[in-house]
Amino acid sequence: MLAATSLLIQTAPRARAAELDAAALIQRLARPAPATIDFAEVRFSALLKQPLIVSGTLGYAGPATLDRHVTRPYREDTEIRGESVRVSREGEPVRSFALKRAPELSGLLTAFTALLAGDHDAVGREFDVAATGDEALWRIKLTPRDARVRKRVPEIDINGRRDLPRCFTIANDNGGASVMLLGNAAHLELPQPLTREWLERECASPDA
Amino acid sequence: MNRSLPAIALLIGWTLVLAALGWYVQKDLVVGTDLRLFLPSPTTPQQRLLLEEIGEGPASRILVASIAGAAPEILADTSRALVAALGGSKNFSIVTNGEMSLDAIPDSLLSYRYLLSPTLDTQPLDARYLHDQLRARAEDLASPAGAMLEPLLPRDPTLELLRVLQNWQPMHEPNRQFDVWFDGKGKQALLIAETSAPAFDPDRQRAAIEELQRAFASLNSDGTMKLTVSGPGAFSVLMEGRTRGEAQALGTAATVGMIVLLLVAYRRVGPVIVSALPLASAGIAGLLAVSLLFDAVHGITLAFGFTLIGVAQDYPMHLLSHQRPGHSPLDAVRELWPTLATGVASTCIAYLTFMFSGVVGLAQLACFTVASLAAAGLTTRFLLPHLIDTAGRDYGQSEFLGRLWRRIASLPRPLWAAPVLVVVCAAIVAFVPGSLWENDLSKLTPVPRELLLQDQQLRSELGTPDLRYLLVIETGSSEQALTQLEALDAPLRKLVERGVIAGYDHAARYVPTAAKQQARQAKLPDDATLTATLQQALIDTPFRADVFTPFLKDVQEARTLAPLSVEKLRDSPLGASLDLLLTPRERKFTALVTFAGVEDPQALRQLATTAGSNAVLLDLKEASDSLVAQQRTRLLWSLSLASVLLVAVVAIALRNTRRVIRVLAPMALTTIVLVAVLHGCGVPMTLFHLIALILAAGLGLDYALFFEHASDDPHEQRRTLHAVLVCSGSTLMVFALLALSSLPVLRAIGVTVTLGVISNFVLALLLTRESDPMAGLKHERPAA
Repeated sequence: MLAATSLLIQTAPRARAAELDAAALIQRLARPAPATIDFAEVRFSALLKQPLIVSGTLGYAGPATLDRHVTRPYREDTEIRGESVRVSREGEPVRSFALKRAPELSGLLTAFTALLAGDHDAVGREFDVAATGDEALWRIKLTPRDARVRKRVPEIDINGRRDLPRCFTIANDNGGASVMLLGNAAHLELPQPLTREWLERECASPDA
Repeated sequence: MNRSLPAIALLIGWTLVLAALGWYVQKDLVVGTDLRLFLPSPTTPQQRLLLEEIGEGPASRILVASIAGAAPEILADTSRALVAALGGSKNFSIVTNGEMSLDAIPDSLLSYRYLLSPTLDTQPLDARYLHDQLRARAEDLASPAGAMLEPLLPRDPTLELLRVLQNWQPMHEPNRQFDVWFDGKGKQALLIAETSAPAFDPDRQRAAIEELQRAFASLNSDGTMKLTVSGPGAFSVLMEGRTRGEAQALGTAATVGMIVLLLVAYRRVGPVIVSALPLASAGIAGLLAVSLLFDAVHGITLAFGFTLIGVAQDYPMHLLSHQRPGHSPLDAVRELWPTLATGVASTCIAYLTFMFSGVVGLAQLACFTVASLAAAGLTTRFLLPHLIDTAGRDYGQSEFLGRLWRRIASLPRPLWAAPVLVVVCAAIVAFVPGSLWENDLSKLTPVPRELLLQDQQLRSELGTPDLRYLLVIETGSSEQALTQLEALDAPLRKLVERGVIAGYDHAARYVPTAAKQQARQAKLPDDATLTATLQQALIDTPFRADVFTPFLKDVQEARTLAPLSVEKLRDSPLGASLDLLLTPRERKFTALVTFAGVEDPQALRQLATTAGSNAVLLDLKEASDSLVAQQRTRLLWSLSLASVLLVAVVAIALRNTRRVIRVLAPMALTTIVLVAVLHGCGVPMTLFHLIALILAAGLGLDYALFFEHASDDPHEQRRTLHAVLVCSGSTLMVFALLALSSLPVLRAIGVTVTLGVISNFVLALLLTRESDPMAGLKHERPAA
């Protein structure tokens, strides 16, 4: 699977363009807060026969804050404020934990909010940033600078078109991954069975 | 000062010996502040428990800390960082901000989770339950907590571990923000730190608090946030610091004042220097005696011991005032010695009775006093005369003192006033309302009221154990204790529901009885059954069939585990708090139920009566009051014995009933007057007032002896007057300074002795002389 992935990435968009100016790209992605964006998250895990898919909206109200509202297939609300994460589901007690316990989520939060703020420096503090592709179809690869974080989260990939991010892909050390489809991509018809290869291809595909 | 060669050699030798002894004493001097040293040995189980609880109990070790002065997110982050920073500290057994951590349970305890969690009591591990759990776990996996829980799921699909941890949280959950404890208004992040040192170990408490503050300071580089630490340990550090600071300031002021007074009185530097030597000898002898006989010197002994300077300083002064040109100091001291020795001996014998009071602190004090007064007296007699200059003034020639003496002599001698005074004082004591005695132990070293209020408020926010009520169960085994605690759990929960208490804590909340664990064990299905159940439960879940093998293995392991014992859990990081709730003590186990937010003590008493004959509701205040009362009884017995001995010594020395009465009357009356004045002013007497009364009595005896001793030689009378004026003046100054102190211990001593000096001086003048001083003063001398 890994071999197939790298093959795909090498053949598809990267062939068309040289290195991009990451700072300029990230600046273009800025959205004024508060911003809301539809998402669908596909979670792959070694424990699962088939990936789990939830969808809803992501709300961004400023640095280090993120609201994740799941509306399908059940309702679940997550609030991230600074170091604290609270997850509440209907009919269950609120579960809360510290962000530092979930490096994956922490990576997503930093990357996502910094991109929405167009803050290249904020991204650069935590990650090595590499951008490839061109302005119409780009890919930003974030590698955590902290070795301990890198062990849990080897890298975060963001695919996008023009000034809109389309996919956030976060791999974890359990061999699983979470792929967050954003905006229009959140409403894609997903095939059965859904594979990471299909998602990667979809994320990196140019406009229809 | 005598400048002859032998005198200088003696001066140098004396100084060197003092320096050497001083160095030796301070080298391994341990200063303790354990108030228990000043309490008698307990006689009731409540008192014994009180003494254990005061120093070692869980409540006394808990410090509550609050962080304020920033946005809640920042406070929460700081709180977290503080907990992380103090995680491995030796000074603290636990530092927590309420945040639950899955890493809190060591791996070796993981398989016990089904025995510790209450789930199996009501819910069998059937297919339906497992299916629901697996569905819930799938949702967890898709949530932001997913990556965190994922590694745990193959082993623990029901998240039993989480339930165990939740059960171990305090019952009365404080307000939470960003996952950590906050006060109700959300302005302060709250933490609980349990020190490894007991509250009355200010050195280790200080080390702990300093570590806490250092850790906080490094997180608060811009200084906007404020850390407040509160609790018995923090108070004992604070009070010790304040006592030390104030005692130092007052000591410095007293020293300066004394030097000025001596310079004014003797107009030369020499006497000031030489009279310091018996004083220093007294202090060092006292310390040496205490450190040889006892393990540690109590701070109170030390503080009080040094106020004895007020007595010891008198000895060299008498000699200096009686010294005159052309007269050998050795002769002068020989003339003085019978009177001086009577004073020293009677005071020492009076203090000796404390040695047998059964209260370690008092015995120390007595030891210190006897050693230091004896040292001051003996050095004044045998060493000091060799250092004194034979030149100088003769106070016997002073016209001023002569006029003063004549004026005093012409004062009326209202002997009738004595019985009147006694009646008035008795009436005050009998009819002025208010308590004669202070029974509240905490009044001895009271913490400022605003700090106590702040402490109370923080504790009620956090639901930390009440400091006053404890249910104590003593059993022969820990299992027996756990059984009893488990049986109490339902009634306790009812009390919480009724709002009588906000929460409670006991060891069975952490470790269920072996019986209960075995009952849960019996409900765990065997391997084949569970495998089949799990396969059924997995239908219609997104999970793969083979991933839960570790879960099956754990459950099978749990089926054969020996139940988790208190002893085993004690060895884990969780053991610290358990240790305080269930403590082995000499083949016995003491289990505590602590309460939070007690609203109705009566309901707790009722609970205690149903809890078994080995259960006692300990009201720490009641027990401490009774202890203090008992301590006072012993003290009063010692006092009575001391006064009998004092009278005996004086009687033997003076061998004349009328003289004995004249010498003892001022002192006895002064004691009565002091008791009446204190009571009349609404000051309940403490241990320290009583000790100060004896000190005042000792001073009074000295004055009376010297007045009585004054011969009909007008020069000698003037010298005696000079000596008594200097002595009482300096004593008055030292103790008046102490009376200004804000600390009750020092103030009690200061006020009592100040009043005592005045009263003794006046009464000695009025009552000790015979009616016609010029004719009546005899040549009689007390026997040596």
